[in-house]
Amino acid sequence: MRRLKIAQALPLLAGIVLVALAIAGSRSQTVRAAPHINQVAAPNSQQVDNSVCLACHSRPDFNLTMANGEDLSLTINPDKFSQSVHGENEIACTSCHTDFTGFPHPELKAASPREIATTYYTTCQQCHAEQYDKALDSVHQRALAGGQTNAAVCTDCHDPHEQTRITNKDTGEVLVTAKLHIPQTCAQCHSGIYDTYKYSVHGAALTEEGNLDVPTCIDCHGVHNIQDPTTAQFRNETPQLCAKCHANGTLMRAYGLSTNILNTYVADFHGTTVTLFEKNSPDQPTNKPVCTDCHGIHDISKVDNLQTGIALKQNLLIKCQRCHPDATANFPDAWMSHYVASPDNFPLVYYVNLFYKFFIPAVLGGMAVFVVTDFVRRWIERRKGATH
Amino acid sequence: MAKKSTPPQTERTYERFPLARRIEHLTMLLSFTTLGLTGLIQKFATSTTSQFLVGLLGGIESVRSIHHFAAIVLIIGTMYHLVVFGYQAYVLRIRLSMLPGFQDAKDALQALLYNIGFAKSRPQMGRFTFEEKAEYWAFVWGTIVMAVTGFLMWNPITSAKILPGEFIPAAKAAHGGEAVLAVLAIILWHMYGVHIKFFNKAMWTGKLTEQEMLHEHPLELADIKAGIADRRPDEATIRKRQKIYFPIASILTLGMLAGIYGFINTEETSLTTIPPLAEQQVEVFVPQTATPRPTSTPTAEPTIAPTVADTPSAATTPDAATAVVSWDGSVGPLFQQKCAACHGASGGLNLAAYTDAMKGGASGVVFTAGDSAGSLMIIKFESGKHPYAVLTTEELDQIKSWLDAGALEK
Repeated sequence: MRRLKIAQALPLLAGIVLVALAIAGSRSQTVRAAPHINQVAAPNSQQVDNSVCLACHSRPDFNLTMANGEDLSLTINPDKFSQSVHGENEIACTSCHTDFTGFPHPELKAASPREIATTYYTTCQQCHAEQYDKALDSVHQRALAGGQTNAAVCTDCHDPHEQTRITNKDTGEVLVTAKLHIPQTCAQCHSGIYDTYKYSVHGAALTEEGNLDVPTCIDCHGVHNIQDPTTAQFRNETPQLCAKCHANGTLMRAYGLSTNILNTYVADFHGTTVTLFEKNSPDQPTNKPVCTDCHGIHDISKVDNLQTGIALKQNLLIKCQRCHPDATANFPDAWMSHYVASPDNFPLVYYVNLFYKFFIPAVLGGMAVFVVTDFVRRWIERRKGATH
Repeated sequence: MAKKSTPPQTERTYERFPLARRIEHLTMLLSFTTLGLTGLIQKFATSTTSQFLVGLLGGIESVRSIHHFAAIVLIIGTMYHLVVFGYQAYVLRIRLSMLPGFQDAKDALQALLYNIGFAKSRPQMGRFTFEEKAEYWAFVWGTIVMAVTGFLMWNPITSAKILPGEFIPAAKAAHGGEAVLAVLAIILWHMYGVHIKFFNKAMWTGKLTEQEMLHEHPLELADIKAGIADRRPDEATIRKRQKIYFPIASILTLGMLAGIYGFINTEETSLTTIPPLAEQQVEVFVPQTATPRPTSTPTAEPTIAPTVADTPSAATTPDAATAVVSWDGSVGPLFQQKCAACHGASGGLNLAAYTDAMKGGASGVVFTAGDSAGSLMIIKFESGKHPYAVLTTEELDQIKSWLDAGALEK
């Protein structure tokens, strides 16, 4: 055939390359860096010995009634201070209370204890610059800037006079005692959420069994640079967040939990959508559910819990109906419950996939045999100069 | 006489596809390509190429809308095809040349055998070759599978009212598998058959030359030449049949359009779910105490620290009585620890040493031996006049005992 040219095979090649590209691998997950603590004692040439301060401030029940009528506790428990990380490192009172180097003390301008706290915390950045800077980018700091004076500052979570060491000095890992205490720290302001969390599968394991595999507040919300969890971005990132632990084989094996939860979710209609939102438009809201929409947030229960567990169809249906009010009894099976289709679970899906697994190569293989032989035959004919 | 010569350049052409067919093909081409592209990037959503294309098309919701629109175009195209087929089959009574037959299997075998050298010639084929029929019927099969599974996915709630829920993910699996098959088949079979093997422009020009007809459809050409190809019935017969066919076709068309409407509008919440729920709104700030850090609540009376000294019981008093109450033995170190930071060598009252302390300060003598109630220091503390009340009740009692015992140095 005179029209037969190699260049005409280009569209075919281009098509195959395109399909191959589309099947190409997905992005790998990022690994969270371990927290780094940098502590340097603030240099202060004119430090007053702490015993001078404690002479008065160790007095129990040493209160100052402030302009708003609230008492400001001026008592420092010397024992607790000496056991604290600041005490251990012999940090001088005047390192933070820089203007309190003599007596009488400078006049107190703040009208309330809270006003002192919300102005004093800036002193922490002298030594804890990294943590301080991160905290500046937190939901707490934004709330504070917006006039919500109850928003937590450094000293609300870390009492500077009593805070003991949180991380291992050498490895930087969070100490067991510190981790167990985290939810109670957050509960000072978020006690409603804590009361929910402590009965959840995670919270109960931590508070009742001292299980350190489970997430505390900071594992999901972060620490210092805690972000607003109500944003679209936080929601879109939720599957990746849960997968940090739930796609971890070594961690899940101990509890007999599947690590397929992320890939089965992403393979499903809902998960595909959320994944694409997370990649393409992370700050755009989507109405497709993320993990927490079915499993709960602070009230996550075991899936086989009779009252709330969503492994039970009637419980799952309630979750479906939150977004699809017309859904009926069969509908929950439209979601494969994180199962990978097999002859036992979702056999119809399994056999459909199996059919195409053989049908596609069979059809295309048959076509290819004809196309290739036809192409070669015509090429030979063309070389011989045959026309037919 | 006829000599062996090439035919004249102005070759005779034969109409293969009228304009309406070509428009139909273009519509299918565009909708199929759109469906393939917008579908495969959803099937392989985790690949970066897909994500790039999804972004380019305005996000996944936009991609789905385009996919749904193209699906409707393709379905309407299919319906048009059915109506036209009905017209040709009933009114015009054309030969059903697209129907597959045993001859096609023989042709395919012969073509293959020829290609590998086991047959002497290529099969001679009619209006539609076995390759074209294979593609046509594959398209019919694919369209049925895609429409049915597409409906299940588009209307999962309605579907699950009748079928087991598992049909929805099964439909998705079939839809995806069929899509891959269809796209690859088009790339391989269609691309080769009409673009590479022989660049067949009939779908654009509508015509084939005599030479091309001879190569591709020799039997059809022979029929045309022999005058036994399809002939148009006479106008009276056509009009008679039209009177029957048009009403039926109209009803069928309306029925099919109603079907499309149902396809799109059967349910709402599978596409646009209800907004997020109030039950998820939790009270964030629920402090355990009035302020983030616990502070004692203000009281009318000064609160007394719950120490042992709060209750001067029989247990402590004998100890105090028997102890040596002197400057050196008890109050001196106390003054040193608690007071000397201010009341030291810096001027005024100096509590660092016994003699200096007994001298008093700017306000005069502060310690009156044997009379704690008359001592200025005790008066100041008990009336709250000392600016910083640094002493506990226990410590103050200790000082009183020392004064009452004579304010001795040793």
